[in-house]
Amino acid sequence: MSFKFRSSFPLLRASLLCVALGFGVAVSAADAPSTKAAAADAASPSPAVNTSAPAAGTAAPAPAAGSSAAAAAPVSSDPSSSDFKTLDQEVQGLKKDVIDLNKDLFVLEEELLFPANTQVAVFLSMDVGSFFALDSVTIKIDNKEVTNYLYTAREAEALLKGGVHRVYLGNLKVGKHEIVGFFTGKGPHERDYKRGATINFDKGVGAKYLEFKISDKVPSHQPEFLVKDWE
Amino acid sequence: MFYFRALFAALIATLALQSALAAKPNPLIGKPAPDFVLKGLDGTNRRLSEYRGQVVLVNFWARWAGLSRQEMPALEQIHGTYERAGLIVLGVSIDEDLERAREFAAATHVTYPMLFDSGEATGTGYGIEKLPMTVLVDRGGIVRYANVGFKHGDEKIYLEQIRELLRE
Repeated sequence: MSFKFRSSFPLLRASLLCVALGFGVAVSAADAPSTKAAAADAASPSPAVNTSAPAAGTAAPAPAAGSSAAAAAPVSSDPSSSDFKTLDQEVQGLKKDVIDLNKDLFVLEEELLFPANTQVAVFLSMDVGSFFALDSVTIKIDNKEVTNYLYTAREAEALLKGGVHRVYLGNLKVGKHEIVGFFTGKGPHERDYKRGATINFDKGVGAKYLEFKISDKVPSHQPEFLVKDWE
Repeated sequence: MFYFRALFAALIATLALQSALAAKPNPLIGKPAPDFVLKGLDGTNRRLSEYRGQVVLVNFWARWAGLSRQEMPALEQIHGTYERAGLIVLGVSIDEDLERAREFAAATHVTYPMLFDSGEATGTGYGIEKLPMTVLVDRGGIVRYANVGFKHGDEKIYLEQIRELLRE
């Protein structure tokens, strides 16, 4: 049931995006002929007036109308370009609206799937990392494996540059829990290294944020694995 | 006589069904390639999405699939020729026995990265029904071709597909 619930959200989001995009295209498509027609109308009065003038039999106003149209002709190109500009601005505005809508839907999805009162998020960061090259992380909550993540060289590099990775996002009941993080990689002297860090915490009402931090312990030339509870 | 006719009709129906199944295109074609991160023979982890912008050939193989062994020399040659043109060749073993798969991969002496899927997640994501399976992913991360099985001469088809994607 939960699977269906989860899977329906990307579909919902995609369909809403499609509707929004379709609407944008429809609006721009609907606008385009009208603006073109307007531009054509703005450019075309001169022949229309000229042809209609002799038919009416009034010769005198015809040149005047023709000259005014001729004078208006160069001016008429500017409104058409400005129309295009406004159309472009409208399209850009619609694109921005779609992005905003997508963002809102993403936030809504997260709020629904991971409500604040049960939400628990685990982050990972690295500081220096001279004594440890990260390979993978396994997170266990209450002795049950919830995630296992392999880090590529690029991802490890991003962590060393100050990046923070959200390793896990899930739901937990209110009460006492235990989170264990297992870290594998290369330790000092290129030796295979596996270490764990544990934290026992009390999940209250409200989201819980925990951070595993890998740093260098310079005096002992060993990596250090710390857990920080963000209140 | 009736039984003979019924048997004949069933045989025809089976053959028609088989040909229909064989003609069914891979549902992944035209869709984003399912991402994976796997450990390689050299110990490094590789993620498919990190090769976005390059053409990637993903070859799913298993030790027990005889055609996989026949295909590897052809892929090695393609890798040697097109690596500098921006082609990435990844061999992905979906063998359950990781140790034996590693031994086998080391013995093949291929130079392109060999990755090992310890679970079944990657294979399931690509809907593998038969091995070997060679998938070509374009620069935008979209699956463009999925070649199932291998017979001599198929490497020419791969080359045509690769050249097309590299030109884009």
